[in-house]
Amino acid sequence: MDNYRQDRAWEEILMRTGNIIAETVDLAIGYKTQGKSTIVMDHLSLTAHRGELVALIGRNGTGKSTLLRTMVVLQPALHGTVRLQGQEINTIKSSGLPKIVSFTSTEPIALRNIKVREVVALGRFPYTNWIGSLSADDEKSVSDALEVTGLLALADRNIDNISDGERQRTLIARSLAQDTDLLIMDEPTAFLDLPSRYSIVGLLRKLTREKDKCVIYSTHDLDTAINEADRIWLMTETGICEGAPEDLMLSGMLAKAFESPLLSFSQTGGTFSFVREKLAPISLEGTGVVRKLTERALRRCGYRIEQDADLKVTVNDAAESTEWILINGLHKEHYASLYNLISHLPAEALD
Amino acid sequence: MSGKTSLLSLRLIMTGLFLLMILLFVADLLLGSTHLAAGDVIKSLFGHGTPHGEIIVMQFRLPKALTAIIAGAAMSISGLLMQTLFRNPLAGPDVLGVSSGAGLGVALTVLTITPLFSFTQGSPLQDWSLILAAWAGAGAVMMIIMAVSARMRDIMTVLIVGLLLASAISAVVSLLQYFSNEAMLKTYVIWTMGNLGNMSYTQIRTLTAATLTGMVLAFVMIKPLNAMLMGETFSRTVGVNMKMTRIILLASASILAGSVTAFCGPLAFIGVAVPHITRIIFGTTDHRTLMPGVALSGAVILLISDMLSTLPGGGQIIPVNTVTSLIGIPVVLWIIIGRTGLGRKF
Repeated sequence: MDNYRQDRAWEEILMRTGNIIAETVDLAIGYKTQGKSTIVMDHLSLTAHRGELVALIGRNGTGKSTLLRTMVVLQPALHGTVRLQGQEINTIKSSGLPKIVSFTSTEPIALRNIKVREVVALGRFPYTNWIGSLSADDEKSVSDALEVTGLLALADRNIDNISDGERQRTLIARSLAQDTDLLIMDEPTAFLDLPSRYSIVGLLRKLTREKDKCVIYSTHDLDTAINEADRIWLMTETGICEGAPEDLMLSGMLAKAFESPLLSFSQTGGTFSFVREKLAPISLEGTGVVRKLTERALRRCGYRIEQDADLKVTVNDAAESTEWILINGLHKEHYASLYNLISHLPAEALD
Repeated sequence: MSGKTSLLSLRLIMTGLFLLMILLFVADLLLGSTHLAAGDVIKSLFGHGTPHGEIIVMQFRLPKALTAIIAGAAMSISGLLMQTLFRNPLAGPDVLGVSSGAGLGVALTVLTITPLFSFTQGSPLQDWSLILAAWAGAGAVMMIIMAVSARMRDIMTVLIVGLLLASAISAVVSLLQYFSNEAMLKTYVIWTMGNLGNMSYTQIRTLTAATLTGMVLAFVMIKPLNAMLMGETFSRTVGVNMKMTRIILLASASILAGSVTAFCGPLAFIGVAVPHITRIIFGTTDHRTLMPGVALSGAVILLISDMLSTLPGGGQIIPVNTVTSLIGIPVVLWIIIGRTGLGRKF
C-alpha cells in the first residue's frame, strides 16, 4: 500500500516537471492534395515521455510514416495538434523546431565522397553560422555522437565503405549531434540483418537510458519492439492504442492487430506462428532440449502432441549420440536426425 | 587531428589550382595562332609593345583569356548547383537543355528583335538585352526540369526530358533561322560554335558583373547545399526553407549559364564534367571546398581548351566547343558506365 502511494507521488512529480515530451491531441493525419484532404487515421491521442523508447508498430499502410512526418511538420495535421515540450508545433518557429526534435527518414545517402564524420557534422546544421563552420562546441557534439554510437574508429571512412548497420548508426549519430531531447526515426532497422537490428535498437535504448532522450521509432520488427521498447504505439486499421508491450499482449490488442487466418499469436511469448488446419495426433516421449526441439519439428509438420496416439516418437538421448524411434503400429524405425525422422512420417499428415 | 591534416591538404590543393590557373592564364597570353615573342607580349600588356603585338595581345589574347576564366568558373558553378539541386550527377547546363533555352533567348534577340532596333547595335543595352533573354530562356528550361524532377525520381527520365527540350528548342531556332537574313544567320551560327574571343572590354565588364551576381548567390547557398546532399526530408527537418533555396539556386544557375551562353555560345560539357573532376581532385562533396574548387578547375580547363583550340603555329582556330566536348564526354561516359549504380551517386 505504501509502495503504491509512493509510486503515485513519484508519478505526479514527474508529470508536473514536464516529463511528457511529445503528445498528439485528437490528431488526424493524412494527405492534402489540391485542397482535398484524405484522412489516413483520426483521433490520435498519444504521449511519449523523456527517457523512454517508444516503438511505433502496425501493418503496412496504417500510416506510421505519416504520423511521424506529421509530428515533425513535414506534413500538415489535418485536425487536432501535436505538442512538443508543451508547445504546439504550429507555434514553434521553423528555426526553433530543429533544436527540439530531430528526424531520420529512410532516405538513402546517394554520395560516395563523404566521410562518416562529415555526415554527422551536418546534424549541427541548426547551430552553425552562414557557411556551416563548426565551432569548438559543435566539434565536441560531433565527437560525442560518434563515441556514443561506437563510430569513432570509422569517423574518417567514406560512407561508401561501411556496412549497412554502420551507415544506420551514422544517421543516428547525425540525429544525436543535432542535440535534441526528442529523436524521431522512421524505420531505422529496415534492410538490416538480425544482429544489426538488435544492436541498433539496443543503441536507441541506451540513448534513452544514458542521455535521457526520448526516441520514437517505427518498425516492422515486432521481436525487438516487444523485447526492448518501454512503450508501444500500436496502429491498427481501426485506431491506435498505446502501453507497455505486455499491456498490449494482455489486452489482446497485439494479437488482434497482426493475426490473420494464417497466423496465430502466442500471447505470452509474443511470437507468431503459422496456423495448421489439420493436426494429426502423435505422442512423444523424451526430456530436455531434445524433446523441445522434437516437439517444434513435429508441430511444424502438422502434428499435435497427444498422449496414447497411434503414432509414437521416443527420443533416445544418449551421451554419444541421439536417436529417434518412430513406432507406427507394428513398425519400428530408428533415425539419427530429426530431418530423417520427419521425412519418414506418414505422408497424409504433412501439409 | 586527421581533420586538420585534411584541411591543410585541401588548402594546398586549392593554392596549387590557383597557381595553375595563373600559369595557364600567362601561357594563354604567350601562345596563340600567331607567333609573338614573350618579351613583346609582356611589353604589350604595359602599352610599350609593337603596334602589331599590342593589337594581338590587348584586342585578342587578353580578352579571350579573361573570358575563359570567367566563363569556365561560371559554367562549372552552374553545373555544380544543378547537380546538387536535382540530386542528379549527370545534370549540367548543356545536358539538361538549359544552354539551349538560353540559346533560344539569344536566337530570338539576334534573329528577330535586334534587326528591328538597329540603334542599339554595339551598345551595352544590346549586351544586356542579350543577357536578359538568355537568363529568361535558361530559367524557363530550368523550371520545366525542376517540375519534372519533382515528379520523376529516375535521373535518366529527367535527362531524356532535357534532351527532348533541347531538340524542341533547336527546331524552333531552325524555324527562326529560316525567316532571317544571311548576315544575322551567320552571326548566330558562329555563336553556336562557342567562342571565347570577339569580346570587347565593355562586354567582359557586363559578363563579369552578371556572373559575379550569380556567384554571390551561389556562395550564399553553400550551407543549404550541403544539407541538400542528405536529401530533402533532412534539409527540411534541420530548418532549410526549401522553396526559397530552390528559387535562389535556380536563379543563380540560370544567371551563370545564361550570361556565359549569351556571350560565348553553348559551351559543351564544362558544366557537367568539371564538378566531377573537382570532387575527385579534392575527394569531398562539401560545397565549402567544392564551390571555389569548381570555379578554379573550370577556369583551368577552359584555359587549356582555349589553348588547344588555337593550335600554336598552325594558324587555324577550331571551335572551343570541340575541345570541351572531347574533354567532357569521356568524363560523362565514365560516370554513366564506369562506376557502380549507373551514376546514381556522386
